[in-house]
Amino acid sequence: MFEGPVQRLIDELSRLPGIGRKSAQRLAFHLLNVEQADARRLAQAIMDMRDQVKTCARCFNVTGSEECSICRDLRRDPAMVCVVERAQDIVVVEKTQEFRGRYHVLGGALSPIGGVGPGQLHFAELRERIGNEGIEELIVATNPTVEGDATAMYVAREMKPLGVRVTRLASGLPVGGDLDYADELTLGRALVGRQEM
Amino acid sequence: MVGDRAQAAIVRGEVGHVHGTSLIEVEIPRSGRRRVRVNGQRPGRSTDLLGHVRGVVFLPDDLDIIKRGPVYRRRFLDGVAVQLWPGAYLDQQEHERALRQRNTLLRQSGGEIDQTTLAVWDERLSQAAGKLMVRRADAARALQVWIVETYERLATVATDIELHYTSNWGGSLEATAADEVAGVLAEALIRSRRADTERRLTTMGPHRDEPWFTVDGRDARTRASQGEQRTLALSLRLATHTAVHRATGESPLLLLDDVFSELDTDRADALAGMLPEAQTFVTTARQEEVPVHGRTFEVRSGSIQ
Repeated sequence: MFEGPVQRLIDELSRLPGIGRKSAQRLAFHLLNVEQADARRLAQAIMDMRDQVKTCARCFNVTGSEECSICRDLRRDPAMVCVVERAQDIVVVEKTQEFRGRYHVLGGALSPIGGVGPGQLHFAELRERIGNEGIEELIVATNPTVEGDATAMYVAREMKPLGVRVTRLASGLPVGGDLDYADELTLGRALVGRQEM
Repeated sequence: MVGDRAQAAIVRGEVGHVHGTSLIEVEIPRSGRRRVRVNGQRPGRSTDLLGHVRGVVFLPDDLDIIKRGPVYRRRFLDGVAVQLWPGAYLDQQEHERALRQRNTLLRQSGGEIDQTTLAVWDERLSQAAGKLMVRRADAARALQVWIVETYERLATVATDIELHYTSNWGGSLEATAADEVAGVLAEALIRSRRADTERRLTTMGPHRDEPWFTVDGRDARTRASQGEQRTLALSLRLATHTAVHRATGESPLLLLDDVFSELDTDRADALAGMLPEAQTFVTTARQEEVPVHGRTFEVRSGSIQ
């Protein structure tokens, strides 16, 4: 245990995901030794993010304005919507440069254990968008977990009757590496999900 | 075991397999999690270890597989599946997770369940159950002949050993296609929807099935003698060893913990005569009871000599 304010900061930092006691201590003492202005800038950045960030009224991406830059981009194809669990998943899909449609952030995945039912996710808003925006295809990019699968199944059951095509990302091998780079379980799955050539 | 004055115990072993050798180290600290290293590296996930070490262990508690509830026999079959096909572990974990999710949903909602949500969990659970069942059935198929053969050699008399499977939804050890099994369970879940909603748990599926053995037509659990039960339990492990050896081309490590003291002389001799060509560790409190010759390591007041 350290004296008052230092310990308080360590306690706060160690509540963050991926930060254990030791890392929290290291970060705290690092911040103690940097320029006053640097520490202040970090504190300000955290405050600004909390004060200024909004969620996009259309797709629930994080944004600084009413609608996010992707939804406002007129070159984007409104007929294709990629459905993701969390806003940070958008960044991953964007990096591929392969997708030119819009997104819809559900806000999580179905999980009775986690207390998440359809009411906690943005399904109703997605339904509404299908009616309003001329959406033709939903690409479901939920995580390849039991919960992500169930969520994808829910999207398919609920949205297909509205006349949209629903597809799911394939799971398979990491590209660019050797086969022996993949772990056995991933490779096993890829074998089961193999495609005709 | 961690010594009185030590911070941690480290177990280190070099394991040879068809692809070369792996150095496996396990650090067991006084408190906290065990740490495993393979060739000096932390494995990405605990399942990565499955491909590196194959071992078959017989413990005195294995009698539970024969004598106690169906969960022990399900666990045995599923465990064999993982030894044969590491990917089975993922299927089993997904099944368990989907089942927990569905049960939680049934418990929470109490009669007012959103039907689409339940249907989605039915579908996901059925999918996982299909894969699980095929693995279980494959494991049973891989084992069956060896169980019979091993039992006969141990007991030194011809005995009819059979593995049966009781299921309330149509599950069977004949399963070969995961999709088909998933379809059968999905229909059963619809039929049991009312009962499940009332009882707030999933009443049908592979998690409730009962694998059971008969010895000359008698239920091994209730109508076999102690000696028969012990012989059968041991046969299951030795059969596993043979099946894994056949399927993978690797002879797993064999660990027999305190087995000879529980067998009569005939069976002990039979066991000694049929030990597989594999590195085998036998532990015992009384050396004279072990009719096998090999190197002896003596554990005396905490150190190995």
